[in-house]
Amino acid sequence: MSNSRKWGNVSSKKPSKGKVVQIYESFFKGEDPSVGNEHFWHEFFLLKPSVSKLESELAKLNGEQLTQLKDNLNLICVQCIDILEDSSQIRIAVALQTLCTILKAITRKAASESNLDIVNILVGHDSSKKYIPLLFERCSSILSSNPNSEIKNLALRLILALATGSENLSQNTILEYSMNYTSQVLFEALVYILQDPDTRLALGQFVIQLLTLFVNFSKYEGTNPFVVQLSILDIELALIGYSQVITNHLADFCWQYTTQNADTHAGGWFSSLTNMVGSMFVSDEGSCRNQQLKNHNAILLALYEAVHLNRNFITNLVQTQADTSSPPSPTATLDNIRASAESNQAPSQIHLMANPASQPTSLLATFIEYCSIVTQDTKPDTLFNNGKLCLLILTCISEDQYANSLMHDPNLVYKVQLHRSPMRHRKIPSDPSLPAQPLACAMLDFVVEFITSHKMKRFPMELYLLSIGIAQRLVCYQKRCRVRLSYQWPELWKSLIALLRFLLSHEGTLAKKMNIFQLALQVVNIFNLFITYGDTFLPSPTSYDELYYEMIRMHQVFNNLHAMALRYSSIEGEFKEWAQKLANSLVNVRAITSHFVPKINTWLTDQGLSTPSEDQILEVVRCNYDSLMLKLQDNLDHYERYSESPHHESFFYTMVQTVISDINQNIDFTPEESVQKVFQDFASVS
Amino acid sequence: MSLPTFAVSLIVMSSEGNPPIVASCEQGPASDALPNVHGRTCPTRRGPNSHQRNLSLDFRPMKISLPPVAQVTAGTTVAALAATTQHHRHRSLDLDLHRIPEVDVTPSPEQQCSKAKLLPMAKSSKLKEDITSLGSDDSGICGSDSSAETRPKGSEETIATEEVKSEPEEEQPKEVVIKQTVETAAAEPAAKENCVPKKDNLLRFMESSMFQAPLAISYLFTTKEIGVQTYIANKLFTFPEQEVDFYLPQLISMYIHIPELATLIFPYLKQRCIKSAEFSLQVVWLLKSYSSDAHLTSKKKSDGTKLKTLILSDKLRPRSFHDREVVKHPLTAPSPNKKAHQRSQSDASALIVGQASAEAAENSSTCLGDLRSGRAFNTGCTCFNTHRGMVNNLKGRQTSCICSAPRLEGEVQFVDKLLAIGHLLPEVSGGKEAQAIRLRAEIDQINLNLPARVWLPIHSSSIPHHVLHISTAFSAVLNSKDKAPFILYVEVLEVDNIETSPVPQKMLNALRSTKSEENLLTNERPSPSNTSQNLATMLHSNSMGMLYPYDNDDCWTQEDDEISQQYVNKMKTDRDTISQISLESSDSRDMMVAAGDIRRRLSSAFSDPRTLARRRDPEDPSANVLSEPWMDKVQRIRDSSPYGRLANWRLLSVIIKCGDDLRQEMLAAQMLEMLQNTWKDEKLALRLRPYKIVCLSADSGFIEPVLNSVSLHQIKKQHQMSLLEYFHANFGPPNSEEFLEAQQNFVASCAAYCVVCYLLQVKDRHNGNILLDDKGHLIHIDFGFILSTSPRNLGFETSPFKLTQEFVDVMGGEESDMFRYFKLLILQGLLAARKHMDNLLILVEIMRSGSQLPCFKSGAATVQALKNRFHLTLTEEKLERLVDKMVCNSLDSLSTNLYDRYQYITNGIL
Repeated sequence: MSNSRKWGNVSSKKPSKGKVVQIYESFFKGEDPSVGNEHFWHEFFLLKPSVSKLESELAKLNGEQLTQLKDNLNLICVQCIDILEDSSQIRIAVALQTLCTILKAITRKAASESNLDIVNILVGHDSSKKYIPLLFERCSSILSSNPNSEIKNLALRLILALATGSENLSQNTILEYSMNYTSQVLFEALVYILQDPDTRLALGQFVIQLLTLFVNFSKYEGTNPFVVQLSILDIELALIGYSQVITNHLADFCWQYTTQNADTHAGGWFSSLTNMVGSMFVSDEGSCRNQQLKNHNAILLALYEAVHLNRNFITNLVQTQADTSSPPSPTATLDNIRASAESNQAPSQIHLMANPASQPTSLLATFIEYCSIVTQDTKPDTLFNNGKLCLLILTCISEDQYANSLMHDPNLVYKVQLHRSPMRHRKIPSDPSLPAQPLACAMLDFVVEFITSHKMKRFPMELYLLSIGIAQRLVCYQKRCRVRLSYQWPELWKSLIALLRFLLSHEGTLAKKMNIFQLALQVVNIFNLFITYGDTFLPSPTSYDELYYEMIRMHQVFNNLHAMALRYSSIEGEFKEWAQKLANSLVNVRAITSHFVPKINTWLTDQGLSTPSEDQILEVVRCNYDSLMLKLQDNLDHYERYSESPHHESFFYTMVQTVISDINQNIDFTPEESVQKVFQDFASVS
Repeated sequence: MSLPTFAVSLIVMSSEGNPPIVASCEQGPASDALPNVHGRTCPTRRGPNSHQRNLSLDFRPMKISLPPVAQVTAGTTVAALAATTQHHRHRSLDLDLHRIPEVDVTPSPEQQCSKAKLLPMAKSSKLKEDITSLGSDDSGICGSDSSAETRPKGSEETIATEEVKSEPEEEQPKEVVIKQTVETAAAEPAAKENCVPKKDNLLRFMESSMFQAPLAISYLFTTKEIGVQTYIANKLFTFPEQEVDFYLPQLISMYIHIPELATLIFPYLKQRCIKSAEFSLQVVWLLKSYSSDAHLTSKKKSDGTKLKTLILSDKLRPRSFHDREVVKHPLTAPSPNKKAHQRSQSDASALIVGQASAEAAENSSTCLGDLRSGRAFNTGCTCFNTHRGMVNNLKGRQTSCICSAPRLEGEVQFVDKLLAIGHLLPEVSGGKEAQAIRLRAEIDQINLNLPARVWLPIHSSSIPHHVLHISTAFSAVLNSKDKAPFILYVEVLEVDNIETSPVPQKMLNALRSTKSEENLLTNERPSPSNTSQNLATMLHSNSMGMLYPYDNDDCWTQEDDEISQQYVNKMKTDRDTISQISLESSDSRDMMVAAGDIRRRLSSAFSDPRTLARRRDPEDPSANVLSEPWMDKVQRIRDSSPYGRLANWRLLSVIIKCGDDLRQEMLAAQMLEMLQNTWKDEKLALRLRPYKIVCLSADSGFIEPVLNSVSLHQIKKQHQMSLLEYFHANFGPPNSEEFLEAQQNFVASCAAYCVVCYLLQVKDRHNGNILLDDKGHLIHIDFGFILSTSPRNLGFETSPFKLTQEFVDVMGGEESDMFRYFKLLILQGLLAARKHMDNLLILVEIMRSGSQLPCFKSGAATVQALKNRFHLTLTEEKLERLVDKMVCNSLDSLSTNLYDRYQYITNGIL
């Protein structure tokens, strides 16, 4: 753009700015400048709104004054809603911007003054039934049919502003209108944006957030049409758009994390040392990450809702995506796309074929990687909630028959990079040649990693229950469908036994606070599944021997566990029943250890050996199977199916609240550059 | 077509004895003005003596074919035709009209030449053989008659010469005479035969039922006479399309490289292109494949390129007379194929979709090729969504596209996208697995845009179809050193007509989509009794107008899955499973199970070699996919596919190869098919497995995979046993019926491929290129080195064909009956091939002209060498001795071993 043009713009803007401000002022004085001027509104909506002025004017007023000015505000708002059908894109943009500014200012007021009736101030009680649905309807039609992506952007932000008007979602009266009258149109408009590959990239995140909010609106109190519609959504393109927005977001975070870590690791031990020392003093990084992770709540919730509600979505979990937003950063690509969309380039030119260097991935693969990052630290509450949500999603996935069949498909393999936090006793294996494996393997790897790395004093019992539940669900699926997943099961067994050992050694402190018996029972049940049904799903004959080897090797742990269970079941206490169950469940493990341990010992003395090799032990085990009888236990492959209510209602309630406050904090509802762009585009046309 | 009928009417006239000249006279206007012209041109035309032999022929066909040409090519081509045919036509016409012997012009060398032509008897006898064998095919006259025929031939020859004495130009072309003989033998009315002037013989031959596509193509190529060419080009219209299609590569090659023929073939190609989009694209791809060679001579290239652009511009499409009116009112209606099971979409949303698709039709051009749009292959044709389309669909009538949506673009895009993957994969770093992941990602992208009116060119001629979905999990990157060919398993819907059948609606994954609704109910309404009612009322109150699809039978629950799963297991009648189920279901408080049993069951599950073979090998990810028997795969994919319930559902597979010249493969495939048909007709046991090739350009194409087969390399690698042991392991002990049958198959196919390998000099015969199918047939693949090339021209493989001791062992050793039978088969195969040598030669010869395929690098000698390998001069006894010698040589060949070793060292092929 030439310099002179810019100059011209500025000079033409100055007086208009003044005019708009004058109009605002007269409105807020209680006057109505439109009286007697039939072209007033036509002209008003051609003036570029001054967001800051409008905001400051509104901020000056208290609740009472606002109520007094109600008529004037109603007038502006109604005019704004009316003009949304105008043919002039500029007028629409101005109307959206003005509405949004007023709305945001009033809701901010309402947050502090609880008795403020937002709807009344906006459009008035009497006409609210007419205008609020009309507003939703017109915004929807803009979303689905307006060709200008900036205007779509503004409309989406307006709806987002409406949805986040109240910190408490279920108290948002405006949403009630949308639920009752316009849910269908609105839903379809949002879905339409996800369908379009261009708008999906630019605006997808808003859509996802909106859908999440709508779906969670008084979810437990009554039927929510959005829940119904999301659950039966079967437009493949929309579902793919949905998953792509989530994938891009998560992949981006993973990529950032990896590059940051690579930086710290790249410098060798010294720089990592200095980094460690440095991070001891500066907790800045941590809090920054906290904030970042909080931003993910909306995305995670969206993923949760999709997995939980929509069966058709499951396919998209493993749908390989040829990476539309390749790292570096999402915003860069987003801008690229936006720019190209505006310049009306043929879309096929942007997306010819993804470049060969980037690794295609799937939502689930990305999500598992993401989980491995997020769950590294679960101490702060935000991170704990984040991790919990992740594990809940994984639980839902691992419970789904179809998802399982996809995850266990030996042909659908992915390379999933799991991030492990450095610990004292282990080196982080850095293998660049990651094997591609079915996603079930990656999920189990993640569970194993979680089990291994969270044995801490502040024991995250809830997360442990969830993560072991995931492993249990996978094993149950394999048992039921006779799937032989080629997985290094000893890894799981070892980590589970190590967990039992940890529980035993910290019994004193833990047993007071939480039900460690339930967790131990879950662990033992997994072992029982392997012991009695291993023939149906173990990947090789020798793996059954290895199972025995691990149990025999650590027989002390099981013995102690049994002893502890007996102890607690003999005394009265809140865990008595659980302890009894645990003791019962150990019957087979104990049978095995008591059967083999003496046999091995006699064999050792016979051979005169003190340190036998693994192979030797395995040989003894193999020879002595036949004299061992095992008890068949009931319901080993039954687990309590996940259900959101009643256990997790409050959790999701708080999550939604954090999402709302997060959106309110981080999203600029009135982006001036969008309006500016619309003005530029159309000023030059007309 | 007006032409064939015209020709028929002519022959009726001639057989009735009317002088055919009359007919042509009427059609030859303004021809008398030309004698002087002819006088001038004659000498120049006769420059190349080699063509003179046919000169005489062209008079008769000329005068008859002239009018059809004028008719068919009415319009623009007439001028062009007139330009190319120039004076020849007029001269001959002239002759006929005036019946004036033009003795003066005839130069004497020509006559000498013609006499010289008579000399090579080998040639004529060969021709004779050719003809008689053809006769035996069509008219039931067997080879034994041929000896009897030779006598009348001589006599007729003399008669003929006497008759045409008045026209000294007329030489005695062997063909004419022979053809005449055949015709008389074919019980033509003998009396009339004599009175009909001799010059009609070629015509009569061409009119006869023997003159089918193979001969036509051969004559089209060999004759240099414009009249004969024109006649044959017109005659093409009367042949069955399939027969001509077989020769399509040859036709296109001639089109590109012989400019005179281009104009003549054009009408035929044009008509076929108009008729079928599929054919149009076949032509385009062939043009792409072959004209890239011709860039040296810019003039030649332009013919092919012009046609290519013409076809791609989509101007060749069926005209519809009432298109105007319909296009004006395209009545879009909610999509016609909406069936009851599409329940989750409410009517309202359907309407929106309808609108969206209407919009899509408007700007479809922007979507074409954009894989993210979901409509990348949708040409925007709305004809099937109109009321007309719906009505037709209901009535079972065909709907033809009358909107002006591009007809070819969808398929072109589809093929382009597949090829783009082929070009992308080799650049993907990270080994085979990374490539496989990448492949899946790209396939997923393509799937987004399916089903569409696109097809796999390799199968479309045998099974017209629309592509529904490409199976992602089964797609695999194949082993190749630096290229990355890949195999796709494609779900298709067989249709009556690719162009007029409606494309099926998209369906989502197979499992029932009710779980979510289930969840809704349990989550939101604690009392399930009135849930459905509530939901229904709620939906009604929202005035969605949506019929809530709630019926209890349809509900899917996890329990259903579990129960059905157990049922499925039970159906397998696996002893262990049943016992296990009964154990589970009973009160198992006191049930005990022996650990030893569990362990034994586990190991017995692995004793089945098939389970082991199916294990994943990260080095070779494709092996897993390929080793599964085809029928199992079809069943598995069908079960898991939402389209599996469609009655016409089919699974097709295709290998896509980029960066390799497949034109030689295509030639080899043609020869294989030809040989296969020959042997079949001769009722010989030899068996080949030709596989189809579609060249898409000079360096890419589709290959039909050979199903249910493993390479000898894989057998050796995975099973670590000899071929004979493998046969025993797979088919049974030495004297079992299965083994004997497999052995028989092995011998028959091995002999067949020995003949092929010898005749075509197929090289690069390492064990990775030789497959064994599930019936014991040996199948050779990869004909990248044939005729006069070998890998890197190392010339390792000097033996006539690959015959290792292992092969002989399977046959039962060198002293066995089977081995003798094997040699007999080779002999029979060779004899039969020799009998039909011309059909084979012509394929090669046409492709040699102008094309620069590596297999022709020795030039004309290539064809001559090929011809020599038929050993025309050898008697059957001598040939038998030759076969013995070749078998001996091959068996002892050091070079075979050497080459296998070389391959092992360089490529790790066992």
